[in-house]
Amino acid sequence: MIIKAKNLTRTYPTKIPCLALKGVDFSIKQGEFTAIMGRSGCGKSTLLHQLGLLDIPTTGELFIDETNILKLSEAEKSHFRLKKLGYVFQEYALSPELTALESVYLPLMLQGTGKEEYLAKAAEVLGKVGLDKRLNHLPGELSGGEQQRVAVARAIVNNPKILFADEPCANLDSESSDLVMKLFQELNQKLGQTIVMVTHEPEDKKYAGHIIWLKDGLLEREEK
Amino acid sequence: MIKDLKVSYFLALKAITRGNKGTLILTVLILALSFINLSFIPSLLSGVVDSMNKQSVNNLFANIIIEPGEDETYIKRVSNLQSKINSVPGVIGSSAHYDVGAVFSYDEDRNGKDVKTGSWGVRSINLEDEKRITTTYQMVVEGEYLEEGNRDKIIIGKEISGTYGSELEHRSLKGVKVGDELTLTFNNGIQREYEVKGIFNSKNVQVDTMAFITEREMESVLKLNDRASEIIVKIEQTGEEDRYIEKFRSMGIVKEEIKSWTEYMGMAQSMIKSFAIVKLILVAIGLLVAAITIFIVIFVNVVNRRKQIGILKAIGMREEIIVRSYILQSFFYAVCGVGLGFILMNFLIVPYFIAYPLSFPFGLVNLIVNPRDLFVSSLSLIVASLIGGFIPSWRAAKESIINAIWGS
Ligand SMILES: Nc1ncnc2c1ncn2[C@@H]1O[C@H](COP(=O)(O)OP(=O)(O)OP(=O)(O)O)[C@@H](O)[C@H]1O
Ligand SMILES: [Mg+2]
Repeated sequence: MIIKAKNLTRTYPTKIPCLALKGVDFSIKQGEFTAIMGRSGCGKSTLLHQLGLLDIPTTGELFIDETNILKLSEAEKSHFRLKKLGYVFQEYALSPELTALESVYLPLMLQGTGKEEYLAKAAEVLGKVGLDKRLNHLPGELSGGEQQRVAVARAIVNNPKILFADEPCANLDSESSDLVMKLFQELNQKLGQTIVMVTHEPEDKKYAGHIIWLKDGLLEREEK
Repeated sequence: MIKDLKVSYFLALKAITRGNKGTLILTVLILALSFINLSFIPSLLSGVVDSMNKQSVNNLFANIIIEPGEDETYIKRVSNLQSKINSVPGVIGSSAHYDVGAVFSYDEDRNGKDVKTGSWGVRSINLEDEKRITTTYQMVVEGEYLEEGNRDKIIIGKEISGTYGSELEHRSLKGVKVGDELTLTFNNGIQREYEVKGIFNSKNVQVDTMAFITEREMESVLKLNDRASEIIVKIEQTGEEDRYIEKFRSMGIVKEEIKSWTEYMGMAQSMIKSFAIVKLILVAIGLLVAAITIFIVIFVNVVNRRKQIGILKAIGMREEIIVRSYILQSFFYAVCGVGLGFILMNFLIVPYFIAYPLSFPFGLVNLIVNPRDLFVSSLSLIVASLIGGFIPSWRAAKESIINAIWGS
């Protein structure tokens, strides 16, 4: 099991405390393509943030790749994210002054990879997402779909154990969405990439081998 | 560590080279102006002090002043003393003065009515010696300087004549012209008439409130010979006074008091002290402006980039790397600003003031740039900029990933 969550809760300390997650238990196997689904406001993003180490659960236990996440310091979590996790968000937020290639090799640079290697690897991954003709374009010179594919390339360039995605296609037209989803499917099927994706597109179900349904902060059911 | 710095450098470099050029130019310009602001005032002050010092050396004290010993009114055996002093290598010359107070009266209409009076110091000079030491002979604005053998002639400063923009006009003789007769009653009671031969304007109040007569004339008034109230000595290297004073003492000039001109600069010294406070305030404001400029530039930058910063953190970039990249940017701005300011200061502003010096009551003033002041200005401007860049970037980098990416 690459992810094991036990009785995970997250309460936002707003005026009237918001119980976004009320205790969820599940596990995800290596190589699975998992979709988290449910109504708006049911806690999908909140759950993904906990799994992706972007937020801290209020209570519960979380093991990722055999590591007890709740015991890690901020710096250790930072390092963990860099080494083992990748993210694609609805807002791709590429730095406006970095070219596609630079955005993608940045995580490798952070790991101390040599220049020749990171240039080659970044170009290769951008090729994989169909952007081999756009290496030196700045975000402003790319379409929304292309920017999102750069974000995907940035997320997978360091061979993460798990790729997290939160509605990665929400801002894209159907054509670009299809491209990104096909890419995910390919990554999952050909390379065995573990993917955890939040979506509310019912038709995305077809890509996923494992579906976690949430309702009001609780696990409603799982489909395999 | 090195790889982290590389990433910070990489981000900073891209932000500068691909960022908004207008912002870059404007920021550097503001910092350059701050730098000029920081270095202008100290340079002006140095210029003022230098001009005041030169004034005093050239017109009043020369470098070294020899005065009678305690309980003595006059220095004795003056010619002997002077030849001793003049024989020391590096001494340009010496000049002996008698200084005596006198009441001046000026009867403009020669009818005994409306006689103006006042008391000033009269100094006697040995013309040949004096010309080698002070520049007063070049400052005659009306009439002529004294000549050898002038017994009934006097030259007076503009503060006595009350003309040529005198500053103490109300206490002057209000309108003496060359050729007018003045009656002087010396301290010892002797009264003599003199014709005004010249009026001088040295721009130094202490000099311009004096009148000069020849040594021969003074000795006849005082019925003295080979004495002096003071001897002033000019040397080649201003700043070496103490060494010469030692030398003179070792040559047996021990009864007399020997002082450096700097001991007479009390007024200038207190002026410099008051200026130091003004300088401090101006410098503090200048530094604050620089720090705030950088703060705003970086602040606007990070506010527009909250999401990107959140994502960078999400992919595993530590806060320090992000903060450092902004500090490097600030450093770059500051160094460019200092560089530009330095160039403008040294190749535009200073040459301008050398060509067109400012006219102060005590003489012309240009900017004197002190390398130490420049260094301090540069360093403090850079430090202020780094602080200005650190605060907003640190606050932005500290924000939680969730807030940065999805927060309002
Ligand atoms: N930072 C926050 N502070 C307070 N409450 C929050 C915060 N983030 C989310 N919530 C609340 O937690 C609940 C779950 O939110 P979450 O974003 O996880 O929903 P979601 O399932 O992702 O919805 P959507 O499909 O609209 O994205 C919601 O009621 C939301 O209002
Ligand atoms: Mg959501």
